[in-house]
Amino acid sequence: MAVTALYVHVPFCAQKCRYCDFDSRSFAACDLDAALDSYFEQLYARLDSFGDAGALAQVRTVYTGGGTPSLAGERLVELARRISMWCKPVEFTCEANPESLTAELASALAEAGVTRISLGVQTLDNTELAAIGRIHDANRALAAIATVKDAGLDASCDLMCGLPGQTAASWRSTLDGVLAAAPHHVSVYPLTLEEGTPLYRMVCRDESLEPDEDFQAACMDVARQRLSSAGYHPYEVASYALDGHECAHNIAYWTGRGYLGLGRSAAGMLDDEDFDRLAGLFPGVAPRGDFHRVRLVQRDDAATMFDAEYLSRREAAAEDLMLACRMTRGVDSDLLVRASRVIPADELAAACDRALELGLATWVPEHGDTHAGPIASVDVIAGRTCARLAPTHLGWLDGNVLFELFWDLA
Amino acid sequence: MYRSGKIVRMNTSIDISHIRNFSIVAHIDHGKSTISDRILELTHTVDERDMESQLLDTMDIERERGITIKSNAVRVSYDADDGETYQFNLIDTPGHVDFTYEVSRSLAACEGAVLVVDATQGVEAQTVSNATLAMNANLDIVPAINKIDLPSAHPDEVKTEIEDDLAIPADDAVCVSGKTGEGIHDLLESIVFLISPPKGDANAPLKALILDSYFDEYRGVVATVRVFDGSIKKGDTLRMMQAEGDFLVDGVGVKRPAETPVDALTVGEVGYVVTGLKDPEAVRVGDTLTWASNPCPEPLPGYREAKPMVYTGLFPIDNKDYENLRDALDKLHVNDPSLVWEPETSVALGFGFRVGFLGLLHMEVVKERLEREFNLDLIATSPSVDYHVYKTDGEMIDVRSPQDLPEATRIDRIEEPYLKAKIICPPEYTGAVMQLAIEHRGVTTDMIHLTSKSVEMRFDMPLAELILDFFDQLKSRTKGYASLDYEFNEYRPSELVKLDILLSGDEVDALSFIVHKDKAYGLARGLCDKLKEIIPRQLFEVPIQGAIGNKIIARSTVKARRKDVLAKCYGGDISRKRKLLEKQKEGKKRMKAIGSVEVPQEAFMAILKVDE
Repeated sequence: MAVTALYVHVPFCAQKCRYCDFDSRSFAACDLDAALDSYFEQLYARLDSFGDAGALAQVRTVYTGGGTPSLAGERLVELARRISMWCKPVEFTCEANPESLTAELASALAEAGVTRISLGVQTLDNTELAAIGRIHDANRALAAIATVKDAGLDASCDLMCGLPGQTAASWRSTLDGVLAAAPHHVSVYPLTLEEGTPLYRMVCRDESLEPDEDFQAACMDVARQRLSSAGYHPYEVASYALDGHECAHNIAYWTGRGYLGLGRSAAGMLDDEDFDRLAGLFPGVAPRGDFHRVRLVQRDDAATMFDAEYLSRREAAAEDLMLACRMTRGVDSDLLVRASRVIPADELAAACDRALELGLATWVPEHGDTHAGPIASVDVIAGRTCARLAPTHLGWLDGNVLFELFWDLA
Repeated sequence: MYRSGKIVRMNTSIDISHIRNFSIVAHIDHGKSTISDRILELTHTVDERDMESQLLDTMDIERERGITIKSNAVRVSYDADDGETYQFNLIDTPGHVDFTYEVSRSLAACEGAVLVVDATQGVEAQTVSNATLAMNANLDIVPAINKIDLPSAHPDEVKTEIEDDLAIPADDAVCVSGKTGEGIHDLLESIVFLISPPKGDANAPLKALILDSYFDEYRGVVATVRVFDGSIKKGDTLRMMQAEGDFLVDGVGVKRPAETPVDALTVGEVGYVVTGLKDPEAVRVGDTLTWASNPCPEPLPGYREAKPMVYTGLFPIDNKDYENLRDALDKLHVNDPSLVWEPETSVALGFGFRVGFLGLLHMEVVKERLEREFNLDLIATSPSVDYHVYKTDGEMIDVRSPQDLPEATRIDRIEEPYLKAKIICPPEYTGAVMQLAIEHRGVTTDMIHLTSKSVEMRFDMPLAELILDFFDQLKSRTKGYASLDYEFNEYRPSELVKLDILLSGDEVDALSFIVHKDKAYGLARGLCDKLKEIIPRQLFEVPIQGAIGNKIIARSTVKARRKDVLAKCYGGDISRKRKLLEKQKEGKKRMKAIGSVEVPQEAFMAILKVDE
């Protein structure tokens, strides 16, 4: 299986947000330029070695995340140009923050092959923005959405619920404001409190700032209603899109496709065949035992150190099932049939039955399967019935229980 | 553990007149372990570089909690001021009321006792009971007033208390500080002069008392013994007079405090014997050892058996561990003969054991030892006492578990054990203590002003009341000044009912509790509220109900969990996502699925945490 997705990490921010525990550094302006220069030189070099090894030829989707990639300005445009020399992606996303996305940068990126901008909007309430350490305001965010669309690019907005000070009313007005700006795609993330972040320390001092799970659930419900009725269909736990504007790159993650990671802290995933072919790109990483899948995380700027995690065929199948549960359409019957080659069918059926029993998922007949009466898990797994196992409302909001059921099959 | 690189075989024959066998006894926290440490240091038994605090407390639990649970015998050589070298066998003993039986066991091996009294606290309840135990065993008593380095120390008043309350002459009392080492030398000299040397006949047939024993994977049962007549050396064939078994001695030695082999244990000495016996049950503490070929005519008097006071169910979280739990109890029993158990079955928890303990601290310690030393995950259920239930057909049954209580219609009456409890506290707290006793169905029977600073109060109260939160409450309401001691009194009829707990409408047998009918409503409400705090939110709403028979008397609800999903995208770093999921799952492993409800271990002990 050829690698069809490429992730690039840009670990720099003008200022780190209070909730963020991703790998990203902030610098004083004078030092930032030098740091970016040096980092991007290493990205270009690494990109070329990927290209030389023939790893990029089949790449269909690219996603540049961070950090704040837009902070890199012209360097990001240069990176996009260089990527476009190695492959012709049908979807090429760059993350950007409203304050660092200018009209010039947007059109330069579009020209260099970028097709989609994912904007860190988070909320349209200025007090909430300040509380989490964002340096833009609501007007800047709305202007950025317009800038992206004007440049002919797809616009996606990240929103967060459960922020300090957020109310049901302010959440509704954030949703209304974003819908009025009409992006192509919206992601809704409940704020998670990560140890070691400034927000975590704030919550330790003042418990009232702790995200309330019930409130977050209510926000997620409201978002699903409003976005759905505005034509944005939910296709993953946190993702909504107008028809044809789903993020193909993120879908690749949830459907077990191979991907390469470029840059510090970027993760890649290869099957055994691809790894055999590309092992030279990962010094110090050796194949192990009867592994079927390896996940590699680059540990340094220069790409000389990697963490590797090896998964057996059975573990990879369980992971695929778990990830499929993130998708609104759920687990397809062909994935279940494939999984039954490495996971005993009775265990697989038991996990499906448990998900049904707990009300976490339900069978949905497929391909005009006119099956009469209730669908039996064993029939789907044996390929006798065509149906997908789709998460219910409960299986969406309490997805971890569902994920665990399938990962337990590893 | 004490670290020692070298094992030196020691030739230790010493004249019996130069041996001193003594225990150190005290109320809990009065500092006997620190004094033991200073003695080891001053006699150069332990190099300073190996000095760790509480050397004799070898169990992890003892060090973490700063308490002594097991007795420990250590040999020390002391070069006295008279120019002679003495052999001290020092036996450290526990101070908590639960472990009184350990103290009486240790005293049987001694001619003397150092009675440690805190110079700031004075005589407390366990000081009185331990001093009484020592006097009844006819031991020579050396009073030592500890913590004289503290500004609040008042040693002269404590001397008066020792004379007045304990009727022990305090002229010879030694003032010491376990912390600074002050007075320890004087204490050692007092031990030489005030404690009698052992008596015994080196040429008579062997007569040795088994004080303690433990099980070692490689060497089998290792017994700690005191030789009263004769001697023991490697290769001897010995007989256990009670257990009626013989074994070949694999080796003998002493603790200094690391185990050190010696040629022989001779008359008057204390040391260990490697039996090589692989059956943990073969050796009984309190049994007499003698030579198989030339036995002594009469065994030594054994120990009074320790009677369990409290019973709880112990269940492995993973039912597959049932046999391992049984083995672990067998092995622990060698070291802790007070443990008793019988199989118990619970609908909710599966197969386990109903285990009898000397008290709640003993229960906590045993559970922790089982979990740590035998790598088990256990659930302990609500503690119960031994109720005498008289059925309508005239039969009397012992009920130690709420599940065994017959139907109400078949019960004529229930009797419960009552205690004589003794509390010593400063006069200003007598009101608070009395109030507490009344809340726990206690009746004041006597009140004696011991000194201007301490009052002794005596109560009649049900044991069942004492095993819940009584001790903690006593400590908090008297700012830690009160001390407690108790003994069994008698069985009395009582109006008792069984309180059942239902989760999602299903009765959970392991959560049932026997309670006095006047307290049932309050306890049911408290327990429902406490369980609501302890049981995490689940996929579905979980109603919690308290019931007597068919009547629901209390209710609370754990709301359904509305959201539990990792939504964040980690740029394809699925491993990170999965690790978060696995971390969450680790937490769940410590829970027990009852029906569809995940119940944490501590829920089964929630009764102990109910604020009434």
